[in-house]
Amino acid sequence: MESKIKNKKIKSNINNDKPIVKLQNVSKIYQMGEVQVPALSGVSVEIFEGEFVAIIGSSGSGKSTMMNLVGCLDTPSIGEIYLKGQDISKLTESDLSTLRGKSVGFIFQQYNLLPTLSTFKNVKLPLELQEMDDDTADQRVTEVLKSVGLATKHHHYPKQLSGGQQQRVSIARCLAANPEIILADEPTGALDSVTGTEVLEILTNLWKKERKTIIMITHDLKLAKKYASKVIELKDGKIIKNVSNKQDI
Amino acid sequence: MKIQKSFQMALNMVLHSRLRSWLTIIGIVLGVASVVSILAIGDGMEAEITSQFEDTGGDILTLTAGVSSAKFSRGGGSSESSSAATAEEMLITRNDYQTLNGIVDIIELNPTISGSVDIYYQGESGSVSVSGVDGAVYKEFSTTDLKDGRVLTGSDSNVIIIGDKLSEEYFERELSLNQILTIQDKAFRVVGILDGGGNSVIMPLDTAYQVLEDKVKNEYDAINIKIKDEEKLDETIELIEKKLMMSRHVDLNTKDFTISSNAALAEMRQELITTMTSFLAAIAGVSLLVGAVGVANTMFTSVLEKTKEIGIMKSIGARNKDILMIFIFNSGLIGFVGGILGAILGYLMILLLSVAGMPVVLTASNIILVVSISIIIGMISGLIPAINASKLSPVDALRSE
Ligand SMILES: Nc1ncnc2c1ncn2[C@@H]1O[C@H](COP(=O)(O)OP(=O)(O)OP(=O)(O)O)[C@@H](O)[C@H]1O
Ligand SMILES: [Mg+2]
Repeated sequence: MESKIKNKKIKSNINNDKPIVKLQNVSKIYQMGEVQVPALSGVSVEIFEGEFVAIIGSSGSGKSTMMNLVGCLDTPSIGEIYLKGQDISKLTESDLSTLRGKSVGFIFQQYNLLPTLSTFKNVKLPLELQEMDDDTADQRVTEVLKSVGLATKHHHYPKQLSGGQQQRVSIARCLAANPEIILADEPTGALDSVTGTEVLEILTNLWKKERKTIIMITHDLKLAKKYASKVIELKDGKIIKNVSNKQDI
Repeated sequence: MKIQKSFQMALNMVLHSRLRSWLTIIGIVLGVASVVSILAIGDGMEAEITSQFEDTGGDILTLTAGVSSAKFSRGGGSSESSSAATAEEMLITRNDYQTLNGIVDIIELNPTISGSVDIYYQGESGSVSVSGVDGAVYKEFSTTDLKDGRVLTGSDSNVIIIGDKLSEEYFERELSLNQILTIQDKAFRVVGILDGGGNSVIMPLDTAYQVLEDKVKNEYDAINIKIKDEEKLDETIELIEKKLMMSRHVDLNTKDFTISSNAALAEMRQELITTMTSFLAAIAGVSLLVGAVGVANTMFTSVLEKTKEIGIMKSIGARNKDILMIFIFNSGLIGFVGGILGAILGYLMILLLSVAGMPVVLTASNIILVVSISIIIGMISGLIPAINASKLSPVDALRSE
């Protein structure tokens, strides 16, 4: 399957007209007591609809910081961030949360499932937060759980699932609200290479078939080159490389 | 997020909560249970006072010598003389009786004396208090029903009415109707047994003078007064006081007697009970407060524990408002569960008390009130932690472990 993806010449999903995410001279400075820690300094980047962006860089280079800013989990100290053309600094907390819930899906290294909720309820939660009616939501949850191969695990709790299964639950949860952008912070970091590959295949499928924009953090340059359409490298909070990866496709 | 979904999340949190939450709930349970039972005891006492008040009637006044600082000395058939009534001029005498007799608003008078006597019955002895009353009018003044036998009449001499305890429990063998009790070497036949009345003995006044040797004829410890119109209680008291002050040659400042009314007495007892109930309720309230502090504490720790989960919820689109609702519901639920369990425990305590013979009254409104208070206390004490939780920055929350 992997080789098929590689060999098949696919039409580009990428819409170069307007960036879905735009960072303009963004800096993030953390205050640690007396000391100011610059996690990101003057980053400007545009990410277009349908791109699969890999962010690489050494530990502490600011990858997670950048991703959290893109996902509206955090606000920049300096600079502007545009999500789907909207300046996020102009949104209220409530609107920002709604935008995050509808347009952005997160996948974390540590899965971040709620331990007291079953698989089904974990995946349903974002839809409940959006006040979707129960029947539609249940249908949607059944659908996405099936698509990640967990149709039989509805009533399992996170601790009754393997790491790979938990990560698939978290992917299902991220897909439930059908977001345009998927942000994955080292999604395979806690998985062995086989299950890690499974997860990456799911992401690739989403990118290709469902035309999702995917931003994935990885410290593995090989993975970045293999799966992404664009690779951004960070160092000390600055972008030092931003290259299209078309040669691989 | 819809309200009922926030509620479900909160319920899920309570159901998955650790032992500590349940310990907090126990704190509330005890607080609520004590408030419920104290309210029931208070209501029970009040109900009893009210029924007693209905029995006694508000139309009976008692004249005693001296000015007691408590203002109301004990009324009824067994009045004691005020301790201040030692001086010669501070006695209630035949003169006062005559003065009172001339007042048209008074229907009946019952002069009484009382004191402690030695008694003998079938080889056993003891000491009880005896009251001498006017047999002819005693019936009008008696506040306790008869269990057996008859009341005193005007022609009685060496007969007595006794309290139920004296009849049933005081002596090895029951002192029943028509038995002979020896009082100060004189024989008395029991003609009536009261339904209540403890160890008291009631006998005709003239006989009582013979038994109570320190009492002087025509001097009384008290005179019970039955008035014509209960509605005009205050005016009648005023009139009686005026007449007595004239006949006793005293004014307001040198007044040497006290008129107390059963109505006022009942009112005072009621007041006393209200005070006592509020005091007990305050103690119970404090224990509820302790429960509230427990909820607040649990909520604070719960927020700390759930910081990561709050971050996760925010990352999938939860607004501050959603988090706030979930945590307020959570603490409200703790209050609710504690309140319900507390009401049940309180109910069991009340059952136990009523079996033990304590007068208790349990009202649904009291239970609803206390459970609602418990829910509200839960919500209020969880409010600050809930606000803290809702304001957590998503990134910081996610980074926490
Ligand atoms: N909340 C914070 N408070 C203080 N400093 C922070 C905070 N978050 C990040 N930093 C600092 O900002 C810098 C960038 O952190 P970031 O998490 O973005 O790195 P990263 O590239 O994701 O690293 P890793 O590969 O280890 O996950 C680091 O020096 C980190 O210590
Ligand atoms: Mg990181």
